[in-house]
Amino acid sequence: MKFFSLVHLPNVSDRMGPMKAIIKVMKEQVNSFYLIQRLALYDIKSTNKNSYLGLAWELITPAIQLAVYWFVFGYIMKRADVNGVPFFHWLLAGMILWFFVNPALLHGSKSIYTRLRMIAKMSFPTSAIPSYVLLSKLYPHFFLLGIAICIFQLTGSPISIYYLQLPYFLFATVMLVFSINLITSTLSTIIRDVQMIVQSILKMLIYLSPILWISFDSPVFVQTIMKINPLYYLIEGYRAAFFNHNWYFIEQWEYTLYFWTLIFILLWVGSILHLKFRDHLIDYL
Amino acid sequence: MEKSVIVKNVAKRYKLYSKQSEKILDLVLPKSFGEEFYALRGLSFEAEKGDVIGFIGVNGSGKSTLSNIIAGIVPPTYGEVEVQGQTALIAVQSGLNNNLSGRENIELKCLMLGFTRNQIKELEPEIIDFADLGKFIDQPVKSYSSGMKSRLGFAISVTINPDVLVIDEALSVGDKAFAEKCLDKMNEFKEKGKTIFFISHSVGQMKQFCEKALWLEFGKVKEYGKIEEVMPKYESFLKEYKAMSKKEQKDFREKGAELQSNFSHESI
Repeated sequence: MKFFSLVHLPNVSDRMGPMKAIIKVMKEQVNSFYLIQRLALYDIKSTNKNSYLGLAWELITPAIQLAVYWFVFGYIMKRADVNGVPFFHWLLAGMILWFFVNPALLHGSKSIYTRLRMIAKMSFPTSAIPSYVLLSKLYPHFFLLGIAICIFQLTGSPISIYYLQLPYFLFATVMLVFSINLITSTLSTIIRDVQMIVQSILKMLIYLSPILWISFDSPVFVQTIMKINPLYYLIEGYRAAFFNHNWYFIEQWEYTLYFWTLIFILLWVGSILHLKFRDHLIDYL
Repeated sequence: MEKSVIVKNVAKRYKLYSKQSEKILDLVLPKSFGEEFYALRGLSFEAEKGDVIGFIGVNGSGKSTLSNIIAGIVPPTYGEVEVQGQTALIAVQSGLNNNLSGRENIELKCLMLGFTRNQIKELEPEIIDFADLGKFIDQPVKSYSSGMKSRLGFAISVTINPDVLVIDEALSVGDKAFAEKCLDKMNEFKEKGKTIFFISHSVGQMKQFCEKALWLEFGKVKEYGKIEEVMPKYESFLKEYKAMSKKEQKDFREKGAELQSNFSHESI
C-alpha cells in the first residue's frame, strides 16, 4: 500500500542544479507520455465539440488566413518568386509553422490555470499539463504538414533528400514551444498579466518572423538582429527542407548552436520556476 | 486499530492583499506584504481505518480547507499530513469538463487517475449504472443540473474504490433517493474498513451516518470524539449562538478573525 506524505518542503528546487531540474522535468514527460497523448485527444475533442463543423475548423481557420495573406501580398502586391520558389509555396511553408506555434504558445501559456482546478488531485505531474496542450496543437500541425507537402508535390516542388531535416526542425520547434510554455504557464498562473503579455507578443511575432517578408532582402545587420528570434531559425529550416535544397542546420551551424543554447537556457529557467512553484500553484487560483 | 490518516500541526496560511501591487511585491521581495490569515491554526488529529468522521463548525471554521488538505489538493503551509492509500474528494464542483459528455468525462477522469484503458472499460458500466443519468450520459455535462453533476462526480469517486473518501457537501444537492443510495454505498465502504470524512450542513445526515465528529472553530479543533458526545455540545453552541444579539455575534466572529490573523506558526 502506498503511503503518501505531504510534508511542506520550502523551495526544493533551490537545492537542485540546473541539469537536475531539467532532467527531472523531462523524465516526467517521458513517464507520463501515454497519459499526455490521451489527454491531448480529449483536449481536441473538448475544444471542437461546440461547433457544427468540429475538427474541420482546424483546417478552415488556417485556410482562410492563408488566402487573405496570399491575396494581400501575393496578388495585390504582386510578390515575385523567392529564389525560384513560387511566392505562395514560400508563404505556405512559413505559415504552417506559424499555425502551430501561435496557438501552441497561446493556449500553452494559459494551460495550467485553466485546468488546474479540474486536475488538482491526479496521478500525474503538473509539468505534463502544458505538454498535452502542446500535443493537442501538434496533431493538426501534422495534418497541415501533410496537406502542404501534397500541394508542393503536385505543383512543382517535389520531395527531395532534404526533407530528412524536417523531423529535426519539427523536434526543434516542439522543444522551443515546450520550454517557453513551461515558463509562461507557470508564471501566468501566479501573475495573470503574463497571459496578456504573451498575447501581445504573439500579435507582433508574426511580423517579426520571416513569414510574410523575405529575410535576405534586408541589410545584414537587420538580418542579424532579426535572427535573435528563434522562430527565424525554424522557418528558414522548414523552407530549406522544402525548397532551398541545402542542409540548413549544418550550413548555419553557428545559428544552430545559438538556437540550442537558447533552448537550454529557457528549459533551465522553466524547470527551476516550475518545480519551485508547482506545489503552490493551486493557492494562486 | 490501524491509523489511516494522521494530521499533525497543520496550519494553512492565506494572504489577504488590499491592492494588486502588494501581491506582486510579496512575490518578488523577501519582505512580507499583505495581511496574513490562517484558515487552519496548527490542527492535529488522527483517524483510524473504518472511521466515519463528520466535520462540523460554523461557516469559515476551516472545514473545506481541511478536507482539501486531506485530499491532497491544497498543500498545508506548515505541518504534516499522512494518508494511507488513495484519497478521493467529492465536492459539488467536482471538476468535470463541461464541454464533454458524461461518458467522456468518466473516461477522462479515470485516465487522469492512472487507470489503464481496460480497467476503464470495466469501470465505466458500473459508474454509469450508479450515476443513473439515463440518456443524459451522452450529453455534454453543461446541460446537467447541479444534482446530476454531483451524482456523476460521486459515482466516479466511489467506483474507483479509494481508501479514504472526503465528501464535501456533495450530497446536499442530490435528491433524497440518491442521497440514500450514497449512504448505502458509504455504509458498504465503512464495512470494508475505509475511512470517510463527511461535511454536511444537515445535522440529521450527520447523526445518521457518522460515528465521530470533529468540531472546528476558527481553524482549530474545538472538540473531537464520538458523535453522541460532540454533537449535543455543538447543537447547544449553535442554539446559544443564534440567541446572541447581532453585536455579540459580530464580536464573537471578530475575536476569531483576530486569532486567525495573529497566529504564529512557532507557537505550534
